[in-house]
Amino acid sequence: MTVVVAAVAAAWVRLPVGWTDAVFLGCWSSTALNSARVHLVRSSGRKATVLLCVNTGIWAGAVISVAGRKADLLVALPCMVTLLPASWAVRRGGSIAVKVVSSWLLAVAILAATLQFLPVTPGYLPDHMD
Amino acid sequence: MPASAHMGTGLPGGIASGFRHPFTGWDHLLAMVSVGIWGAFLGRPLIYALPVIFPLMMVAGAALGMFAVPIPSPELGVAASVLVLGLCIALAVRAPTWVACTIVAAFAVFHGYAHGVELPSAADPVGYSVGFVVATGTLHVCGIGIGLLNERPHGVIVTRSMGAVVAAAGVLFMFQAVGA
Repeated sequence: MTVVVAAVAAAWVRLPVGWTDAVFLGCWSSTALNSARVHLVRSSGRKATVLLCVNTGIWAGAVISVAGRKADLLVALPCMVTLLPASWAVRRGGSIAVKVVSSWLLAVAILAATLQFLPVTPGYLPDHMD
Repeated sequence: MPASAHMGTGLPGGIASGFRHPFTGWDHLLAMVSVGIWGAFLGRPLIYALPVIFPLMMVAGAALGMFAVPIPSPELGVAASVLVLGLCIALAVRAPTWVACTIVAAFAVFHGYAHGVELPSAADPVGYSVGFVVATGTLHVCGIGIGLLNERPHGVIVTRSMGAVVAAAGVLFMFQAVGA
């Protein structure tokens, strides 16, 4: 609920278009932080969890504000139902599966955040094949 | 000759393309599956630690590749990963946790580097990354599934034989990499 409220609120804030790269970087960094926390913290405190949710929601809403439409929230927010299979897996002793998947998400988030710093992707330059 | 999963430049982007890529070259595919088999062979905590470490270190390697930071012979490193991981399975090497983690992490950097230099930019690099990482994880899970054969009678013979085949392929990749 906290994520939803924060995301909806942030999506209504008008942000300068020039902030697009920074907002995407913040969103991916936030994703990396959440994924890493699955590994690093066994049981997080309520206050820390709420702060993390607010942070996540703000970045998700900010991305929609600078690079999307309000209707995109209707597509983004249902992704939160992944909470259901994840919590089901944890309750059934399958927390390892959640950790493995979150490590994949962490890998993607770090890679995507790194791309923000890359003016030209070397894939379009001659590589070790050439 | 380059390692076979890393052919060409200007790859098309998207999740499907990224997911397909690890399946298009035997070197990457065999290394990924081998990580899973070896992890299953070593048991907890490595059965899940190795598939967690690999994609994370692969990203570190990809970042080095994207920023064109030179590392010594990535193709040789990829080929060596197939050989060493195959040998570890074939010889049933019970490496200590930190040694197994170090071996897998080091080889993951080479795999990530080889693909990082090819990551497409305009054609949805994030989607490509998602597809690629999920495919890598899927291959790890397949390897773990094969590794669980160890719990069946004569299963160890099957998995160790597979390790020998992977190691033999690694020798071939090494020759190809040295001759490149």
